[in-house]
Amino acid sequence: MAGGGGALEIPERQKRGKIVRRKKKKRIGFRIDLTPLVDITFLLLTFFMFTTTMLKPQIMEMRIPPEMYAKVEVRASELLTLMLTPENKLYWYKGIADQNNPPQEISISKLRALAIEKNLEPTVKNRLITVLKISPEANYARVVEILDELNQAEIPITEAITKEVDEKGEPVKRQRKFTIAPLTEEDLKLLQGEGK
Amino acid sequence: MPKIKKKRMGFVIDLTPLVDITFLLLTFLMFTAKFKSEAEAEKQFTIRRPTVSPDTTKLPERDLAIINIAIDDKVPTDTSYYYGLTNTKDIQQIYQLVPEVPAEFYNKALIKVDTVMLGKLIRATLSVRSSTRFAIDADRRIRFKWVEDAMNILRRNRAFVFNFVTDKRRGGEEEKSMEKK
Repeated sequence: MAGGGGALEIPERQKRGKIVRRKKKKRIGFRIDLTPLVDITFLLLTFFMFTTTMLKPQIMEMRIPPEMYAKVEVRASELLTLMLTPENKLYWYKGIADQNNPPQEISISKLRALAIEKNLEPTVKNRLITVLKISPEANYARVVEILDELNQAEIPITEAITKEVDEKGEPVKRQRKFTIAPLTEEDLKLLQGEGK
Repeated sequence: MPKIKKKRMGFVIDLTPLVDITFLLLTFLMFTAKFKSEAEAEKQFTIRRPTVSPDTTKLPERDLAIINIAIDDKVPTDTSYYYGLTNTKDIQQIYQLVPEVPAEFYNKALIKVDTVMLGKLIRATLSVRSSTRFAIDADRRIRFKWVEDAMNILRRNRAFVFNFVTDKRRGGEEEKSMEKK
């Protein structure tokens, strides 16, 4: 170390030299017993695997207008009315229902096809208003199923409508018109008349 | 010197890949696991949600107020509204704005409410945090009237956007529900 002068290389070299001269010491490896670690890890792993649920509830967004009783004038020919009765039966009619145009019963599984067909009729394309009249006695699950079918129908409808171009050359925007209304006594009478 | 004992040959299995994978899975599950929110933990009922076709929109975890319409587990004829909040910090502030909420409920994230209280709570929630989103989590067995009333209360209290909480329909269920129709 004498005359090292602060330079680091010299003492190191000396050290190294010593080691070279000495007999090589056998390196002793060491072992750690990993068993408890693996035990705990597996325990935690199984715990988390059994308690995790990957399925989260999903949501269906709804927007309701601020005014409940505001009157809007619409053309009857652009109306598609769906009615859900207290017995959870679904009826539909277009325009105004009367003797010549009675409400017809439809199963929910066929609703999607109906919605697509009616929405894409050339005369009312992109202007059709869907009204869903629900009886307060109807089952909530049925209501959600109907809303779901109508939502699913929107996909092909939007696809078909946005293919067209307006006079400016831009694709037409789908304007969905949909409303929920309570099923009135009059509607029920109309349905009873249909049953005769 | 005694005879040299033959050393028994043990065998060693390299556990490294096993431990690697185990740790990977463990950390994944640990990070994705979520604890039940307080409102969820206080539930005295189970909601059987309506099932719909799969969707990617999930229920938000924060700034959410849930209106539960549930059938009591013990008394099946008893349907009632419950109001739950996910932001635990806001709870007390919101409850204090509604005189109908008794003081002993101030530490509860989920309370049983009637229609009058529900309206006031919605208004109070919006005044405390206007970004709150609302969700109606109703049991699929109830009549629509319950939901309709809740929707009208929301409308009257200026909450025009809300969500229905639903579950993903699985393969088997679809067939069953179609048969019913």
